[in-house]
Amino acid sequence: MMQGTVFLPAGLRRVGWRYFVLRWRQSLFMVLGIMLGVAMMVSIDLANASAEEAFVLSSEAVTGKATHQITGGGPGVPEEVYTHLRREGLEVPLAPVVTRYVSSPRLGDRPMQLLGLDVFADAPFRGYMGEQASGGEQGLIAFLTRPGAVALSEENAARYGLRPGDTFEIELEGRRKEVFLAGIVQPPDDLSRRTMEGLILADIAAAQEVAGREGWLDRIDLILPEDSQALEERIRDLLPEGLQLAPVEARGGAVAEMTEAFRVNLSALSMLALVVGLFLIYNTMTFSVLQRRPLFGTLRCLGVTRGEVFGLVLTEALWVGLLGSLLGVALGIALGRSTVGMVTRTVNDLYFTTTVQAVGIPVGSLIKGGAAGLLATLITAALPAWEAASVPPNTALVRSVLETKVKGLVKWSALGGAGLIGSAVGLFSLPEQSLGLGFGGTFLVLIGFALLSAVLLAALMRAVEPFSRRLVGLIGRLAPRGLVSSLSRTSVAVAALMVAVAVAIGVGLMIDSFRYTVTVWLDQTLQGDVYISAPSFSANASLSEIDLRVVEWIQSQEHLGELYILRSTRVESRSGPVQLSASSNLEVAEERLYAQRIGGSDTVNRALSQGAVLISEPLANRMGLNAGDSLELLTGRGWRSIPIAGVYYDYSSSEGGMLMLLPVYRSLWQDTAVTALALRLPPGMDADLISRQLEEETSSLQRLNIRPNRQLRAEVMQVFERTFAITAALRILALLVAFVGVLGSLLLLQLERQRETGILRALGLTGRQLWGIVMLETGLMGLAAGLLAIPTGYTLALILVYIINLRSFGWTLQMSIQPSVFAQAVGLALLAALLAGVYPAWRISRMPAAEAVRYE
Amino acid sequence: MSKRGWILVFLVAIGLVVWAALLLRSPEPQASQAAPVFRGVQVEPQGAFRMVDGPAQISFPRDHGPHPDYLTEWWYYTGNLFTAEGQHFGYQLTFFRRALLPPEDRAERTSSWAADQVYMAHFALTDTGAGTFSSFERFSRGAAGLAGAQAEPVYQVWLEDWQVTEVSAGRYRLEAKSGEVSIALDLVDIKGPVLQGEGGYSPKGAQPGNASIYNSQTRLGSAGTITVGEEQYAVSGLSWMDHEYSTSALGEGLVGWDWFSLQLDDGSELMLFLLRHEDGTLDPYSSGTLIQSDGSTRPLAAEEFEITPTGTWTSPHTGARYPAAWEIRVPGEEIALAVRPRLADQEMRLSFVYWEGAVRVEGQRQGGPVSGNGYVELTGYAHSMQGEF
Repeated sequence: MMQGTVFLPAGLRRVGWRYFVLRWRQSLFMVLGIMLGVAMMVSIDLANASAEEAFVLSSEAVTGKATHQITGGGPGVPEEVYTHLRREGLEVPLAPVVTRYVSSPRLGDRPMQLLGLDVFADAPFRGYMGEQASGGEQGLIAFLTRPGAVALSEENAARYGLRPGDTFEIELEGRRKEVFLAGIVQPPDDLSRRTMEGLILADIAAAQEVAGREGWLDRIDLILPEDSQALEERIRDLLPEGLQLAPVEARGGAVAEMTEAFRVNLSALSMLALVVGLFLIYNTMTFSVLQRRPLFGTLRCLGVTRGEVFGLVLTEALWVGLLGSLLGVALGIALGRSTVGMVTRTVNDLYFTTTVQAVGIPVGSLIKGGAAGLLATLITAALPAWEAASVPPNTALVRSVLETKVKGLVKWSALGGAGLIGSAVGLFSLPEQSLGLGFGGTFLVLIGFALLSAVLLAALMRAVEPFSRRLVGLIGRLAPRGLVSSLSRTSVAVAALMVAVAVAIGVGLMIDSFRYTVTVWLDQTLQGDVYISAPSFSANASLSEIDLRVVEWIQSQEHLGELYILRSTRVESRSGPVQLSASSNLEVAEERLYAQRIGGSDTVNRALSQGAVLISEPLANRMGLNAGDSLELLTGRGWRSIPIAGVYYDYSSSEGGMLMLLPVYRSLWQDTAVTALALRLPPGMDADLISRQLEEETSSLQRLNIRPNRQLRAEVMQVFERTFAITAALRILALLVAFVGVLGSLLLLQLERQRETGILRALGLTGRQLWGIVMLETGLMGLAAGLLAIPTGYTLALILVYIINLRSFGWTLQMSIQPSVFAQAVGLALLAALLAGVYPAWRISRMPAAEAVRYE
Repeated sequence: MSKRGWILVFLVAIGLVVWAALLLRSPEPQASQAAPVFRGVQVEPQGAFRMVDGPAQISFPRDHGPHPDYLTEWWYYTGNLFTAEGQHFGYQLTFFRRALLPPEDRAERTSSWAADQVYMAHFALTDTGAGTFSSFERFSRGAAGLAGAQAEPVYQVWLEDWQVTEVSAGRYRLEAKSGEVSIALDLVDIKGPVLQGEGGYSPKGAQPGNASIYNSQTRLGSAGTITVGEEQYAVSGLSWMDHEYSTSALGEGLVGWDWFSLQLDDGSELMLFLLRHEDGTLDPYSSGTLIQSDGSTRPLAAEEFEITPTGTWTSPHTGARYPAAWEIRVPGEEIALAVRPRLADQEMRLSFVYWEGAVRVEGQRQGGPVSGNGYVELTGYAHSMQGEF
């Protein structure tokens, strides 16, 4: 087909071009449709790429070239393990690591990683301190020997005006520590410069002291050669119980997988906009072909070949697609500024703390978006182009033939639609629960419903006609019939609007259901009056430790009622690290909602006290576990098989977690650290007041988040809203695309029918009556789209809630239906359609009959 | 607008978008091979290291251990070993200690990783049969049990798995392994510790403080195994241990030293060192010690011995030009010896470059033939050692 484009006679190209210029509005709408679709894809892709880059850079900053890591659940790796391994003469690079998230008011109060390393061992891994770590380096002396000595990258020091020798404060889990800037690292290349942006380097001794981690390492990094089974076995034999050696990928993999699900969701949503945009292109191209049927007939008479006509139309599409895509890419970059922020924020809330911000724009995203826009335009335009090429070489044929043909097509498209929906149902019921298939099915359903819209529109109009006739007489009869008689264009416009509104309904219902579910879950789970935790950078799970002096002091305040202690940490399972929470509340099992249980409350409580765990639904889904199964965990006493007493609903993380009783945890891990406290106050005590008092009295020891129940709940909901901010924004954008599209198609539709209208005018209809016809037509279209969007949107919501969310995040949501969502959607569709009708109606009603009839 | 005009517009538009994209995009991050530069803050110490300014009361086993208040210290093991078939190996295993801070500047720390001492170790093996020489270097902090030295409860000096440990009085186990090369020896001290200089006080220049405390075990019976790749050799022979600490061992204007430890088959040993000035002249504080077979010692002043280089070797790796054969005479003892390296290239190219190699000794003593083995250390030929120790 490209040959046709290239060898198109110059005169013929002019034909296309002239048409374009004359119908600039029409072209504008096509360009606009593609532009918005591409812009959304690009902006989401940019956000995804930048979130991923931030993740990769942030984790690379601390992982470096390590291939394996030795880790331990609970408090970490005892430091003597490292010395033991070193003195074994393994002859592989080994490096101890102590790492903590910190922030500093002096360094922009952003999350940073305090990375404690041993300069004598670290060069093969990260090389921040250079290869030459000889003792002779005078400059290293202060870094090695000064308590609280740290180093920063040259950029960070310059940006925040710090000079070697300065002291400044950092905050670590609510505790302020003074550190001393003992040196500046000049990274050798751009990559290290980027990764160092979020790092505060320290000698391992200083890091232990600052973090209060004397005696412990967070992990030991290793670089093992490939196929080192024997060596790995040897190392495992050297490790005490409770530690494990695992490849780095296995550890980062789980997080990467979960963010992947999140990103796929966003991408799919952004593609919806392009789909809506494609409807518009199809609609507009079809329309332009229709308009020019006589022209194409004439051209064919003049000896222009079928292929040339096809090429002509496709060339037009190519230009429109190119311009729209380019503008879309540019707009996408602009929109990307806000989407990047939103996505990164959510990823930080839900998955991991990034300390490095991605900068720059990955060209891949732009090319991907632009190419998708162009390609989609060409494919969509192929059908109308084919239509144009099949115009027989005479001008006698009129539209009515096409409309007759369309009537036959309506049946086929309805059958096709039903077929697509059927195959989607088939896809969903496949045993393979992949997210890709889930989204594939979702698109099939949407397109299926869109294909059904023509037949439904015709049926609806026939049903409406008697009513509208009775209501507004002749006009009421003309309008619905007019819509049916030009079904080839009206149905596509309605389908586009319907898809957009359905997406709005579906996504809206999903968010409502989610919100409802979280609210119910919070009611059940948050039963304390005051919650205390140490500040952390993750919104959903604080692993920061509370100073034990604070714990003791609060424990001594007996008038405050019951105090429950919670320890949250990460422990090793056979399939990577898992979050474990241990509660001193022996009735904690009563405060959960269950998907599965091994028995009644008593049975579960008994199992828990005997060492069982409860696991959250996402974890159960992720690992394929059920109540009654057991799970192997690396405890302080080696691998233990822990029975699962139940699966509870939990929406705090899509990674999932486990819950056990504190005495069980402490006996298995010998870890007395505390990460959260919950107070159940005696009746009559004011939680707000107590919170403020506690905050004041503990502030000298540690800055803690002390929140009354109500505030904590509000904060959880805030994170929730933040998480869905981008989804909501996408939903609005999809509507905007549809609105522009519908505006365009209605405008064209009405302009195209000028002659018809002119005849009506000539027959004596007043301007007001014409106005009425146009408004009624567009109103009916809007109404039809709105009504059709209700079942489509509802189906979409069902899919999103029960299939997509479950497959992406492992969460079962309770469907919550607020009728207002439907009303809003119908109203929206109607409003969009009516607004779109105003201009054509105004034009037509003011047009003198003669001019209207003149047509072209 | 003409057709051409339109194409132009589109080309310009495409160009603009590509340009904007390139502008907004940062250059693709590239990891380079260049090393980062660390600029540390220089903090002037409040205190000072202890100086060796006169003879000290040396007492063993205590003084086999470390002396952390002095800037540097080393434990130097070298030896010549032979298989039953007579194949020769030479080895060097040295532990260097360097203090980061004078005693007064050391802070109380709670982390066991906090270090005010850094250890470096060098390990080298000369495989004369194969004509190969390998050398290795390691660093570690003198903390967290990773590296250190101790006199009690048993003498031990180690850096990770390279170590020398006393197994019973006067008996030691020496072990080191790196890559393809490893050594494991049992050492027996035949003569007991020898105090060099004046009862262990070894001046290195006229200025007070330019001196070290220096003692040796000059005859350590050695037996064990050497592994090179897949090959394992049962070996036996003699080792020599030097233990020296100081704060300022090289006086002003000195660039390096030539040091000889020779073990003769009449049961005596000869230690000699020459301190060299920048201009090539020798310092009058060069000295030596003759250890008789009964363990008695005779200090040798600079004028009591002569060392004449009889050959040179230029390192193809560093370009440094080393003396490569010597005639040594101690007229007062009627000793005349010819000393030749077992292998020309025994250059240690590590954090600093020096030549340390096994040598063969042949000559005469009091009219009779005498032969033996030894080690020679040549420093300051590739770069000055001033400030290195």
